[in-house]
Amino acid sequence: MVTLEQLMALPGALAAFEFRGSGELLDHTIGPEEIIDKTVLDLLAHMCAANISIATMQARGWEQVTDMRGFYPVRQFTLIGFDWSVIVSGLRREAPKTAGETSLPPFMGIVIANEVADYEAAYTALEEGT
Amino acid sequence: MSIVAELLTKPGVIAAGEYAYRGDRFSYRGDLTESHARMASIMCRATTMSTHMQGEIIAALSSRDFPPVRGWVMRGPAYTICVVANVFCLFDNQTGAINPVIAFMRQALAHDPMDLI
Repeated sequence: MVTLEQLMALPGALAAFEFRGSGELLDHTIGPEEIIDKTVLDLLAHMCAANISIATMQARGWEQVTDMRGFYPVRQFTLIGFDWSVIVSGLRREAPKTAGETSLPPFMGIVIANEVADYEAAYTALEEGT
Repeated sequence: MSIVAELLTKPGVIAAGEYAYRGDRFSYRGDLTESHARMASIMCRATTMSTHMQGEIIAALSSRDFPPVRGWVMRGPAYTICVVANVFCLFDNQTGAINPVIAFMRQALAHDPMDLI
């Protein structure tokens, strides 16, 4: 499983964080640029938890209606801002969820600077160990 | 060449289109049926409006500068949906890389008005 420190080693990483499915921030690391603070990270975590749930509902509905598979489960949800993006993933929750476990690991997220962002690398890192 | 036409030249892009923020029209090109493209445009528009609203709330609650949300990406095991401003594209993860697609959309739509009209 990827750690916050490993996420912070990605190109352009500005912050990394963990949050519950209900959105509460559990742990975080903020880079020296300090373009973001804990309050904003907590709000972003709630926003991302909500949007990954909605995206999951839409992906399942889309697959059912179109018979086009490959959208579910949602692996990552990304918000693109002007200067930075937020990428979150709950993929590491899928295996324990399938196994019927009721206690699931947290979601992971990273904030990256757009100019140097490597989205593919971030997706790969967030999928590590899943 | 239009943004949508140029998107379709990127490896991995299956379909692309744009929608009116007010929801009364959409257009698309690529490998989707008309009804599926319509449904995709509605979902993309709804999520865009929702994330924009959420970003404004965060901006209001934060003491720091929090610029408007420009777009979003939903990545599944085989396909990715990428939206910036009012342009959306459907992307096949196996046949292309998403970095150039996001970079192109960000650059091409960098000066698109943010009043959502």
